[in-house]
Amino acid sequence: MSDELDEIQGIFFEECAEGLVIAEEGLSAMAAGDVSADVIAGVFRAVHSIKGGSGAFGHGALQAFSHRFENVLDEVRAGHIPASAEVTRIMLNAFDILSDHVAAAQSGSAFPDDAATLEQLDAILASKGAPAEPGAPAPVAEADEFGFTPVAAMVEDFDPFGFEPVMVALDDLVAAEPAGWTVRFGPSRAAMANGAEPMLVIRELEDMGGRVAAADTSRLPGLRDLDPEEGYLVWTLDLPASVEEQAIRDCFDFVAPDSLIEIGRADVAIAPPVVEAAVSVPVIEETERPALTLVAGNVAPAVEKPKAEAPAQSIRVDLGKLDQLLNLVGELVIRGSILSDRLSPADQERVELPELSRLTRQIQDNVMSLRAQPIRQAFSRVPRMLRDLMGETGKQVQLVTTGETTEVDKGVIEKIGDPLTHMIRNAVDHGIESPEERIAAGKPAEGTIRLSAEQKGARIIVRISDDGRGINRERVRAKAIERGIIAADAQLSDEEIDSLICAPGFSTAETISNISGRGVGMDVVRSNVEALGGRLDIQSVPGEGTTFSMGLPLTLAILDGMIVRLGKQRYVLPLTNVIETVQPAPGQVQATSPTSEVIELRGQYLPVRRVGEMFGLTGERRPEDSLVIIVESEAAGHVGLMVDTIDNRREVVIKSLEDNLHPIRGLGGATVLGDGSIALILDIDALVVATGFKSALKGMAA
Amino acid sequence: MSKLILTVDDSASMRMLLKASLTAQGFRIESADDGQHGLERMHEVKPDLLITDINMPRMDGFELIEAVRSVPEFRGTPILVLSTEFSDDKKTRARQAGATGWITKPFDATKLGAAIRRVCP
Repeated sequence: MSDELDEIQGIFFEECAEGLVIAEEGLSAMAAGDVSADVIAGVFRAVHSIKGGSGAFGHGALQAFSHRFENVLDEVRAGHIPASAEVTRIMLNAFDILSDHVAAAQSGSAFPDDAATLEQLDAILASKGAPAEPGAPAPVAEADEFGFTPVAAMVEDFDPFGFEPVMVALDDLVAAEPAGWTVRFGPSRAAMANGAEPMLVIRELEDMGGRVAAADTSRLPGLRDLDPEEGYLVWTLDLPASVEEQAIRDCFDFVAPDSLIEIGRADVAIAPPVVEAAVSVPVIEETERPALTLVAGNVAPAVEKPKAEAPAQSIRVDLGKLDQLLNLVGELVIRGSILSDRLSPADQERVELPELSRLTRQIQDNVMSLRAQPIRQAFSRVPRMLRDLMGETGKQVQLVTTGETTEVDKGVIEKIGDPLTHMIRNAVDHGIESPEERIAAGKPAEGTIRLSAEQKGARIIVRISDDGRGINRERVRAKAIERGIIAADAQLSDEEIDSLICAPGFSTAETISNISGRGVGMDVVRSNVEALGGRLDIQSVPGEGTTFSMGLPLTLAILDGMIVRLGKQRYVLPLTNVIETVQPAPGQVQATSPTSEVIELRGQYLPVRRVGEMFGLTGERRPEDSLVIIVESEAAGHVGLMVDTIDNRREVVIKSLEDNLHPIRGLGGATVLGDGSIALILDIDALVVATGFKSALKGMAA
Repeated sequence: MSKLILTVDDSASMRMLLKASLTAQGFRIESADDGQHGLERMHEVKPDLLITDINMPRMDGFELIEAVRSVPEFRGTPILVLSTEFSDDKKTRARQAGATGWITKPFDATKLGAAIRRVCP
């Protein structure tokens, strides 16, 4: 059960994350002036659900905070508290703390300091005169709307069960020796109408040793006047003295409060007028609940609300199952290619292979789309981050988001969070100027960060652009020389200078600021993006701003690859790393030492590595008989990889090696090719680092 | 034949939690994720007991209870509300809509089981 609970708790936190997104969207809309009932109700529901689940999973601090937050939202929803700008601001603040509470509950780390926020929330409640809902159940003794006065209500601590207090006639219990219990029970019409079953109560009392002493049938009318909906009988039961009073009361948890329920010691007289009160109830009920008169009309169809635009129904599926499905579809694709390799075109037509391939492709697309989620999930944490950053830096920034409904594979969404966070930080810290600087530069005091996503073919482009000061190329260049990243006399284009900020070990910040100086540089951002099979581009216009563009694959399960041949083996090179291929002319590849070679390309020398040798495939091919593929690596920039030939280019289904083997340096996985043979997928960065290119490159740059 | 319970809650974790704790006590569980869906499922599965949340999209718990009670076939079906709300106002509304009982979240599995046996013949 505990595994199961862990799993359910995992889903609870997913719901929390979704709830937080909804709440933040709603609160942002409120901040922007949309205080419609729908928006407020949406925020309320999100916070309410977080509260509900947090209690169920024992996250007390989260529950307590969300409860207080919810109280305010409830009053705003009810119109008792106006959704003013100030109230919205405090609620946005509360939202931030709520996010921290969720994170703390999830990670088991320390709870955020919520005292100040709670005070603000309580102040809103108090100032609007809204009754603060107490933490404990409100005292309850108000069954009088049914024309019924409780005899003696001593019901505290009665929740979590039961509606209203059970009416208990408990007069002075002075008897030295407690006598047995006498219980009188007469279910009301309302109790019957609400599906209560008196027999169950009586049976439960009997299980505790009770015995029906009498059944008062005096109110039973003649058969003609009998209303089967009515409760006419009053039972009197005797119970042993040893039974706990609470245990007896518990039996009546779900009996409507207007029913006759009297619990007393056998020697305590029971007040008779109560019976009359119970009898008067049906009249009220009759008018309030006309639906009940449907008794005879058995033919009356169910009164359903007309189905409004049915929103898409959804179902939660274990991600592992989707992965498995994707894997199987991958197998299907591979078998399909095997068939098409083995069958002649005429035979393919005969067995309708093209149609099968088309269907397979459709299934593949559909399965992939099952894992797709709107990128909004990755974008959702940006507004909060910006609010924090504005607080830390004193800069003013507005966020403009577009394309947040663009769908990307869940795996991609999970992994772009960190690069995205860092680029936003970078934009605020280095890009956007202070309000004074901006005004001096003739710009509005408030900077703008645009966050956008769009799908282009099989890739998604995520852009983060700011209207700040742009990259200071002079300073970047000076820093790069100082750090030994480029030679002092290196001739670099503007783009090349801009891309230096992604060089390992580079940081433009004069002093390590609280924001960017968190031990992560843009080089890590770029390698994260590249690890996703993506590319990072930087465009900057001095004085006007900087744009970071991430081009990412829509899925991590399928790779656009180039099939290269080494001897009899085939390997897959991720196409995202490939810059160009070169058929070397004699002399274009030169040995600089017995173990290193370079290729001369348009006046530049790039290191070249024979991939065959890396895998121990010996062969003495001349460079002129080989192909050099220029790839871009994170660790060493452009590098040439020497292979025998290129077979073709195709999408391959990535199969993990790590499920069955230790991680192998230089290999990113495997795939099955159309003829059924297995090809290994090269991990270019790992290869380059593993074989010491980095040191070779350093030597050249110096 | 064990009792069949329909649980209606828009939170998947709550549905799973209910299912896990009640299945362990020998009940059969069906679930729905909002009131509208719950009403549809009522007609499909015809449960022995309905347990519903209050705050839900599309159709809330009050509306669901009213709708269910207005169907002659379900007039006698016990309905328990399982909600984080505990105000008397809400309880009265639920009762007027036709709820049999009210249980406050978070629930204790054993007590919930006892409560169910208290209303479910």
